[in-house]
Amino acid sequence: MKRLGKSALLFIAIGLAIYAGVYYAAERLMVHTGRSNPLFKIATAQDSTVDWVILGASHAMPLDFADFNAQMERETGLRILNLAAPGTGPLYNRFVFEHFLRTHRARNVLYVVDSFAFYSRTWNEERFADAKLLRRTPFEPAIAASLWDYARHEGVDARAVLDYVTGFSKINNRERFERDTWEGEAQFDRVYRPSASAVKKRIAYLYPDKTAATALGRYVEEFSTLIATARQAGASVVVIRMPAPSQYRSELPHEAVFDAAISRLLAAREVPFHDFSPAMDEPRFYFDTDHLNRPGLTQFFARYLKPILVPARGG
Amino acid sequence: MLFTSLEFFVFLPLALLLSALVPAGQRWAWLLVASYVFYGVLRPFNLVYLGAVTLVVWGCGWALERAAREPARRLLLAAGLVAVLGSLVAFKFYDFVAGELERLVAGTLGPETVIALPRLAATTPVGYSFYVFSAVSYLIDIFARRLSGKQHAGDVALYVAWFPKILAGPIDRATNFLPQVSAGLRADPERLVLGFQLIGWGLIKKVVIADNLAPMVDRIFGIAAFASPIDLLISVYFFAFQIYCDFSGYTDIAIGVSLLFGLQLMENFRRPYLSRSTAEFWGERWHISLGRWFRDYLYIPLGGGRAGPVRHYLNLMIVFVASGLWHAGLGYGVGWTFLVWGALNGGYQWAGVATRPFWSRVGERLPRISQSVPLAALRVLLTFHLIAITWVFFRARSLGDAWLILKKIALNLIEIPSLLSRFPFTAEHYAAFALIAFLVGVEIVDERRSIFQRLAAAPVVVRWGLWYLAILALLILGRWQAREFIYMQF
Repeated sequence: MKRLGKSALLFIAIGLAIYAGVYYAAERLMVHTGRSNPLFKIATAQDSTVDWVILGASHAMPLDFADFNAQMERETGLRILNLAAPGTGPLYNRFVFEHFLRTHRARNVLYVVDSFAFYSRTWNEERFADAKLLRRTPFEPAIAASLWDYARHEGVDARAVLDYVTGFSKINNRERFERDTWEGEAQFDRVYRPSASAVKKRIAYLYPDKTAATALGRYVEEFSTLIATARQAGASVVVIRMPAPSQYRSELPHEAVFDAAISRLLAAREVPFHDFSPAMDEPRFYFDTDHLNRPGLTQFFARYLKPILVPARGG
Repeated sequence: MLFTSLEFFVFLPLALLLSALVPAGQRWAWLLVASYVFYGVLRPFNLVYLGAVTLVVWGCGWALERAAREPARRLLLAAGLVAVLGSLVAFKFYDFVAGELERLVAGTLGPETVIALPRLAATTPVGYSFYVFSAVSYLIDIFARRLSGKQHAGDVALYVAWFPKILAGPIDRATNFLPQVSAGLRADPERLVLGFQLIGWGLIKKVVIADNLAPMVDRIFGIAAFASPIDLLISVYFFAFQIYCDFSGYTDIAIGVSLLFGLQLMENFRRPYLSRSTAEFWGERWHISLGRWFRDYLYIPLGGGRAGPVRHYLNLMIVFVASGLWHAGLGYGVGWTFLVWGALNGGYQWAGVATRPFWSRVGERLPRISQSVPLAALRVLLTFHLIAITWVFFRARSLGDAWLILKKIALNLIEIPSLLSRFPFTAEHYAAFALIAFLVGVEIVDERRSIFQRLAAAPVVVRWGLWYLAILALLILGRWQAREFIYMQF
């Protein structure tokens, strides 16, 4: 029995050594193929201080598709770091921004707000456990500690911490050899053909919890904490809403309640809020039901976004 | 709780540890609690169904043991069977039959004659078919005096609820299970090693092979009308291996986990795709515990093959149609496809019985050819394809879809070589083919001498090397995002 115990220990020790090797290889491969994950962007950011940090969900992501971020930087002369991630609400964005502030500084924060991200745990607590995000997040003890903190105090699933620390999602990544790009980026130059059923499907996906009035209060509070964190770090905050086709906007549920709650919060905090959602209605500006394509984004930037970003130069 | 979930990998060591700490005499109680926890976490209310089935069969078994007169015994058996099998039939078919009746009435008497039958609107509790069949076997074995009805209620409850087998079998017999529990469960090192090996192999079959084939199968069967004949052909092959690896993977894990607790469950799969006839496939290699259940509790009581040729054919068809009905309600819905699937397999058995004398004569006259390897390989291939045709009915969403898939493939059979050369194979396809080739290779080697016996005799470097490779395959290639086992949904 003693011999069996020794054999078992040796087996486990060799197994752990092999696991460590595989973990290291998976981490290196992740670094090699990494690109759009916000925590990866923070780890590889060249400047320790940026003029603008962009936060939000997928509607903010086209601002960093292809070479658009570089184009914005050229035209404004500002350093811009886009930390938006698909399907992420204020809780995940706060987590990302807090990690950013550990090693970097931002003069301004541009938050692209979306109502769906304030209505469900799916886009907040549960998002932390998504293998798609975890497998592209570089390993850092500080992130692990912060994740553990969120598991203890914010209701994030502890399995997300276990997954992150063991690197399971990275080792088990079926797209390990593919570049980390969100699927929308491949469609950036496409033009959307309006479809009522596609919009309905999209809305059903974005609002998985039919009635989530309690969720709104919770995530507005999270958003408020994020604004306070930014202010404490000396950054000014601007909140915008991206344009969206009327066919999409008309289907959004509980939108008036959300508008009232967010307007109240931003007015109280004296945060500028620009609602561009009705600004560009034509389908030719979108690559799908609700995301701007390259021509749409170019026009949006020139007409609406640039005037917001530029006055902040040197701010 | 799924065998592939993180919760299970926490639950199992805890259950084992506590089981080892509990005195042998009380171990059944702890294992029963563990089984209820395992089953209850999926949906606590399902424990009510499980408890009801257990109470009914234990009560009927207890009364059967005490009833002296034959009519009373028959009445008790009938009452028990109606209660548990009746509930299974109601859960599975009531809503489907009500819908079909409404449609029939509207079709016959005109659309203005609308009847609206009430619906149960209750889904069959997960694993219900499996533990109901176990419970039925317990009852019939007591009635047939193969088993005493003086069983400890806790042991019977454990037999019905034993967590490794409750969701998808094997449908173990009480005559095998209960004596082991009464004797006291003890796991020796040999059983532990075999148990871990079976769990490892079962996980590879499920998360590495079955779950990697599943998305391709789902995609093509979902658009059967628009898919190319090659896509359909490949999906039919992939599904044959998906369902095998999914189901046999589950039972390998179930048998392996049971061995860790010192319990030996019955064998359920024996390399079925190496069968040389459909009779061998169903009788000796595929879902053995269900096949034997139907043989012992339906086919033989009906007279089997000894009640004259007509009854023999009829009995065969009854058994396979009943098996088809049992399979209905699986993740692919309740539909007529399962009836056709059962009937088609029954038809194969008819053809097998009808041509058996002819093949025996051929075997006697040409013994060398009949035992040659090429002929054996040919028979294996033919059997596999016959079974694959039946899987189309099993997997397709409707009879129309199944027919369309078979027609599309059949009409393009001659052109398959040229279509294959132009087919845009992806890395996903090649990976799937490689996994299937690996599985078939292992099974061929295993057919000659058990892989586990070979492993036991191999040097430690080889044994450990293979273990590490298996664990790495699970980590790197496995799809762990909790896809349910197909047969769990019965």
